Amino acid sequence: MSVLKIDNVSKFFGTTRAVDDFSLTVEDGELVCLLGPSGSGKSTLLRMVGGFAQPTAGSITIDGEEITRLPPEQRPTGMVFQSHALWTHMNVFKNLAFGLKLRKLPKEDIDRKVEEVLELVGLSGYGGRLTHQLSGGQQQRVALARSLVLEPKILLLDEPFASLDQHLRERLREEVRDIQQRLNITTLFVTHGQDEALALADRIVVMRDGKTEQVGRPDIVYREPATPFVAGFIGTMNLIEGDVSNKVFNRAGFQVPLDIADGPVTLAVRPESLDLSVDDKNGQAIVHRVTDYGTHGLVDMDLPDGGRLKSMVGHPDMFASGQSVKLNPTAIAAYRDQKLVHRSQ
Amino acid sequence: MSEVSGAANTRPLLEKAESGRPFGLLLVAMPVFLVGWLVIWPIISAVFRTVWHRDSQGNYGFDLSTYVFFFSDKYSLDNLSITLWTTGVCAFLLLLVCLPIALYLRFSEGRLPAYVQGLAIFPMFVPSIILSYAFIRVLGPNGMVDLLLNAVGLPKIRTPYLTPWGPVIGLVWDNIPLTVLILLSGLGNVANQSIEAARDVGAKRFQVLWHIILPRISNSILVALSFSVLGIFSAFTLPYVLGPAAPEMMGPFMQRTFRDLNDPLSAITQAVVTFSFCIVFGLFYVRSVARNQGK
Repeated sequence: MSVLKIDNVSKFFGTTRAVDDFSLTVEDGELVCLLGPSGSGKSTLLRMVGGFAQPTAGSITIDGEEITRLPPEQRPTGMVFQSHALWTHMNVFKNLAFGLKLRKLPKEDIDRKVEEVLELVGLSGYGGRLTHQLSGGQQQRVALARSLVLEPKILLLDEPFASLDQHLRERLREEVRDIQQRLNITTLFVTHGQDEALALADRIVVMRDGKTEQVGRPDIVYREPATPFVAGFIGTMNLIEGDVSNKVFNRAGFQVPLDIADGPVTLAVRPESLDLSVDDKNGQAIVHRVTDYGTHGLVDMDLPDGGRLKSMVGHPDMFASGQSVKLNPTAIAAYRDQKLVHRSQ
Repeated sequence: MSEVSGAANTRPLLEKAESGRPFGLLLVAMPVFLVGWLVIWPIISAVFRTVWHRDSQGNYGFDLSTYVFFFSDKYSLDNLSITLWTTGVCAFLLLLVCLPIALYLRFSEGRLPAYVQGLAIFPMFVPSIILSYAFIRVLGPNGMVDLLLNAVGLPKIRTPYLTPWGPVIGLVWDNIPLTVLILLSGLGNVANQSIEAARDVGAKRFQVLWHIILPRISNSILVALSFSVLGIFSAFTLPYVLGPAAPEMMGPFMQRTFRDLNDPLSAITQAVVTFSFCIVFGLFYVRSVARNQGK
């Protein structure tokens, strides 16, 4: 049972608030992704949990034991760094055994644990290799193994796949998820990749300017974004500024019934929730570009006032640039003053 | 079609590289000539003159008597010993002084480290002769330290001036800038995340230094020590002004043998012996660097 609790943690760099009154509880065996753009404070938060930065205010506990002021070497956490941070003057075995030797474990135990964890990450027999003889993916596995071999209560992953290519990243994140679930290790994962967060996390924490924007299951965060920022950050979203008058949203002739009070509003429609039909007479937008991705197509359209919209279509060959199309949103959300005021499924 | 055009595209590049070769050789010709003329030739000439010279009967021939004399003469061997001792002590003290400075400069932020760096680099801009006289005025008999001690009623210090420690202090001070800069450059290659990863697995500060930082900067330490050792072994001004009359370091010894004793052959022999020690240090350095790079 390892529960990480972050209570009202803030971190100031001079007058800049990197993390602002942040609270979060990560349950035993849970994998939580901190997701946000650069500068949102997610890495600073992770570094505070790891002990590499001190909070200006607030407390951090693991299993009820306060670790806020403990140095990194005394914390029951294991961190995997973005740059792997392997020690190039040691081979793979020595990289993994270093922490165990510091704990003065018998040689037989060290050999056994290193071998077990190498097998876990699929690098059996690689102990004698120097780190520069490994590929990027293998280096990242060694970095993960180095943390896991010490059996930390909390695993911290700081954008571990950022330096890898897309194909390798997808493969490794599946492996990391498998290992995390097999070991049932409580994990805090920092990423700015929404697909990574959606694929990996039990829960996603969307951060912005050091604050929590939304916390929830990946499917909920994707389908029911709480703010326009989350709506725009997670996945692709058409965010259309317009006005509501007599319960009808209007933006340059694009009209949608919307049962809210009159006034300015931001309408959010996912591309997959925006159906199109060719209509030369009553079209609301003009097709700008059609991109065929094989499995589906993406149609970029311009509203009469220049606003750009996207729609995902099953048959992209039905559309062509310059065509006039009618828009039919099937699921919408509306935001006013950064708050959700309407959602339809 | 594309193959033909590809081959056609690469040909001018090759021709350009080949046509540029004489120009490149011309560029390096002058420095190579100067090294040959001013360094290599004097070495060959000096070695030749010490082993092939006129004997007591006035006949030219192969003769190792000057070397036999050097290595059997107690005074010469004492001078060689004091030179080796000074070099070793200076190298040790330089590492002891410069490594903490370099570590501080590498891992600190703010304005103070910038001032410390300026202070550490400052001796580079002070000529040895100025440094020597500054040393005498501060640490010499009736120098500033003695005056200050006297002012507060304390006894005088035992001055290191004209003792083996005089050149040691001067040479260490003189070599601090280069050593700090080389170590700092080596420390620049140690990523912060490597250190954080070590702390993350449980290493305390000294363990991080011993197991992570020092192995990563071993090449820089080697370079810094090699440069210092080569400079100190053949130093002249500081040992001449600050050192004892006897035994003396090889630099002043050569100068005195050449000028005061008017014995150029023995002076050249001393120079060849000094050069031989330096080249041993040099070869050790090259071998170690090559081995580390091979790893």
